[in-house]
Amino acid sequence: MRFDESSAAFEAFYRRNFEAVLRFVTRRVDDPHLAGDLTADVFLAALDSAHTYRPGRGSEIAWLYGVARNVVSARRRRDAREARASGRIAGRRLMDDDDVGRMEERIDAERGMREALAAMQALPEGERAVLELVAVDQLTVAEAAAALGIRAVTARVRLHRARKALQRFVPPSAVFTEEMEGTA
Amino acid sequence: MSRFEERLLTALKEDLAARPAPVRARTRRVPRPVVAVTGAAAAATAGFLVYGGAGSPAFAVTTDPDGAVKVRIDEFRDPGALEGELAKAGIKAVVDYLPAGRICKSPRGETARGGGRLEVGVGGEGGGITFRVGKGQIARDHTLVLAVSRDADAPGKAPAATSLEIVKGAVTPCEPVAPPAAPPRGGDGAGGAQEREGDGPGTTEREDDDSGGRGPGIRQDTDGSGTQERTEDGTAPGGGPATRENRTGATVHSGS
Repeated sequence: MRFDESSAAFEAFYRRNFEAVLRFVTRRVDDPHLAGDLTADVFLAALDSAHTYRPGRGSEIAWLYGVARNVVSARRRRDAREARASGRIAGRRLMDDDDVGRMEERIDAERGMREALAAMQALPEGERAVLELVAVDQLTVAEAAAALGIRAVTARVRLHRARKALQRFVPPSAVFTEEMEGTA
Repeated sequence: MSRFEERLLTALKEDLAARPAPVRARTRRVPRPVVAVTGAAAAATAGFLVYGGAGSPAFAVTTDPDGAVKVRIDEFRDPGALEGELAKAGIKAVVDYLPAGRICKSPRGETARGGGRLEVGVGGEGGGITFRVGKGQIARDHTLVLAVSRDADAPGKAPAATSLEIVKGAVTPCEPVAPPAAPPRGGDGAGGAQEREGDGPGTTEREDDDSGGRGPGIRQDTDGSGTQERTEDGTAPGGGPATRENRTGATVHSGS
């Protein structure tokens, strides 16, 4: 995937995926300004690593979720050290009051998902990553495997283990039958 | 969210326009050796990739610091080029790609003894295969003989049958023949003449080097769904787009 030769290609990519990125982000943070920053960071990272996308290896959204995961976890690590980190584009500065309000609504709507994700934090990283992408972000197992760079069979095994383990913490319905529609 | 969406798009486009073209268009697209694909990134010292029309590598031959040669074949085309790269890595090889309903007539020569086991796996999410030849595993008068039965129109699909063996001395050229009839299996009418993975009767001389001290030959018959006799390393990323490196957003593969 290359964006450098036409910004139209990037714009199309951006339009296709903006909602999905916003949903991904608001399922993971509850601060609207941070959500704005992260949305910008995810697209910047997508621009930076567009060349790593190989169409034959999985869907665009799987690849982008892989990028988004990196961005969000990198941000979390950074936040442990400093209160606010600055990306090249400060997403929060692009938001007016209405935007912040809408972001808050989205964040509210994703509360159930964030709680499910919190319950998943107890799982081993490898299992959690697969479960997160499949159960929360609605990727197929193959797409999740592609996003994580692991074999599909490995992803399936991890998913199975994670689901089994998670039954002890939360009723399965809390994680697996949550309404997945965005609030766009 | 529309205003934020528009403003962010504008900001991103500006960022994109401000990037120096050569950096984003060229240098980052230089592919890494296949080591990144096989999950042994730190280990390899030499690599070679062959590209086909689509820009994806057909195969890769890499040499580890310990002298082991790793081979990863993603698409079963251009056997001559693979032979050439293996020769550069010090391995004499005969590679044949056959149509799905054909295998090479056995035997191809005298099976080499005592060379140890070859590690063979079905690669990644694609239909490729990987194998690793340890240093000294193939002696000077030995030849690595690889025969793959696959659909020539879909060179990246998993092969119908794979035969990998080490032959001592002269190698008989491949004489394509129909594989022996597989034992009947319920519910599977596809590719009637193809070999099937299984322990049942009717498969061809399946070398089993697990019994110790026997030849290193391996016959691998898959049903096209990734069945395998032996994997090199079940935890290897095996060709997914994300490796250790691009989990942090760094360059790993070229895209096209």
